[in-house]
Amino acid sequence: MSLVAREVTIRFGGVIAVERMALEVSPGEIVGLIGPNGAGKTTFINCVSGTYRPHTGTVRWLGDELLGLSPSTLLRKGVARTFQNVASLHDLTVLDIAKLGASARKDRQSGGHLLDFFRSDSALERELLEQILEPLELADVAHKPIQTLSYGRRKAVDLARALAAYPQLLLLDEPVAGLTSHEGMAMAGVVRNVRDRLGCAVIMVEHKMDVVMSTCDRIVVMAAGSKIFEGLPAEVQADPEVRRVYLGEP
Amino acid sequence: MNTRHLVIAVAVALLMGALSLAFGRFGAYMVNAVAIAGIGALSLNLLIGYGGQISFAQGALLGVGAYTAGNISNAGGDGLLAILGAGVMGAIISALIGIPALRLRGLYFAIATLAAQAILEYLFKILDPITNGVSGLVIRPTTILGIPMTSDRSLVVPSLVILVIVWVAVSRLMRIDLGRSFLVLRESEIVAKGMGIDVAHAKILAFFASGFIAGLAGALAGFANRLASPEAFTLDLSADYIAMIIIGGLGTWTGPLIGAAFVVLLPEAIQRVGEAAGLSDILSPLRELAFGLLIILFLIFEPRGLTALLSRLKPRSLAVPAPGAVPATGESLPP
Repeated sequence: MSLVAREVTIRFGGVIAVERMALEVSPGEIVGLIGPNGAGKTTFINCVSGTYRPHTGTVRWLGDELLGLSPSTLLRKGVARTFQNVASLHDLTVLDIAKLGASARKDRQSGGHLLDFFRSDSALERELLEQILEPLELADVAHKPIQTLSYGRRKAVDLARALAAYPQLLLLDEPVAGLTSHEGMAMAGVVRNVRDRLGCAVIMVEHKMDVVMSTCDRIVVMAAGSKIFEGLPAEVQADPEVRRVYLGEP
Repeated sequence: MNTRHLVIAVAVALLMGALSLAFGRFGAYMVNAVAIAGIGALSLNLLIGYGGQISFAQGALLGVGAYTAGNISNAGGDGLLAILGAGVMGAIISALIGIPALRLRGLYFAIATLAAQAILEYLFKILDPITNGVSGLVIRPTTILGIPMTSDRSLVVPSLVILVIVWVAVSRLMRIDLGRSFLVLRESEIVAKGMGIDVAHAKILAFFASGFIAGLAGALAGFANRLASPEAFTLDLSADYIAMIIIGGLGTWTGPLIGAAFVVLLPEAIQRVGEAAGLSDILSPLRELAFGLLIILFLIFEPRGLTALLSRLKPRSLAVPAPGAVPATGESLPP
């Protein structure tokens, strides 16, 4: 197991958002994280990606402790994430955003920025266009400012940014929420392809069950901040407790 | 390298050079003043327009540049060394001013820069051995690479060369990772952090780069005035630079220079009109009033400044969708 999270607990005031959560993910595995609203899925992702600092617990990636590291350090270690809501960034084009994602791959000092002045990035541009933007159907809008794009395409840009970092651990927070089913399926296809190409571990928080069932190798169900079930997609669908908590059946 | 920007920068510099030759000593003086203000405005636009860090201390930073260059030059150092030294000193002081920005945001930080401006003005007055106190440091005519800079006409050359270099460098900066991270920082620090941008690092580098350019402008201003005095680098100057970048167009590439030309030339124009009409006593105080009014009008009707106004005048077929074609401050646009 390369990602091992144990006993992760975070409270906000009196609210225990995540309680003693445990999760293990291997390289090349796509794990779906599902559960009702408020189950703590996004909060858990926020803990792993450095946005929140849990009160207790450990999150180890290839043996290194991740908790306490800043998002920028985590990105350099190969941990990239997407966001549920996409930010509108004026003036930046789709390609600019992808380049910002790719910049995490360069581990450099302040002086490195000076070298950037004299370095051409046309090779990187071509690579991003072919490897990242083309599969996400963003190549034709690569030079457009992102706020001119539809919501679905902006979500794809956010995914492109995370993928451009060539992550080893990819955290996806509702990647297909709000997308049309065609866009959603395309996005899920890209996630699988990336997994195959990079061999990265993927944790995907998602509500759209068809996407989760068809994309994930394993599913973890959260409720009230803890893991209540873990298994193959078919097992999850068949489990009566999951159906009761999540799918709302008696 | 953005070739279009390089061509425009060189063409504008050549045009300004030609103007300085055509209109004699006064022309050279005005062109030099516009070039120096342009460099200063580029530095502030980098910080405010691109990086989103509001600062009222840019006037004092120019002062740091002027005093540094004056001391190096007076001690016998070459003018070029003096200008670069001024840049380095400006960068260091600017980075120091930027440290509170790691904790404070927006207007709160802007207030901290007001304090920095006041502290620097005070230091200009009391650090006698370096600044010669309230009477100001007299800067003897310098030599740049062995060529004596005796008049505005000779000073125009280094000013325009530095203007072109800075202008093109800013264009390039906005096309590398660091510049792109400034733009994200301007929109939202939270988003920048989430995207894995080292916010503290990027902020300090924004101040460093902006301060370096401000130092260059200050050095050139010192050489042009042959004096660095506390009265020359007050909050008024900071306000002038903020006026320039707002009138020219925040966060645009051409805006700082257009705004600088406007703010430097407007008082002259008012003066001339006043003299011609015999009303100079009445019209001179209009400068401040005109600036205030213009800034309010631009903020309401065209936050992208003169740059946006000019690009709107262009026939549609010629209009290039520049990266700055979209309003930076969507909230402040009328619905």
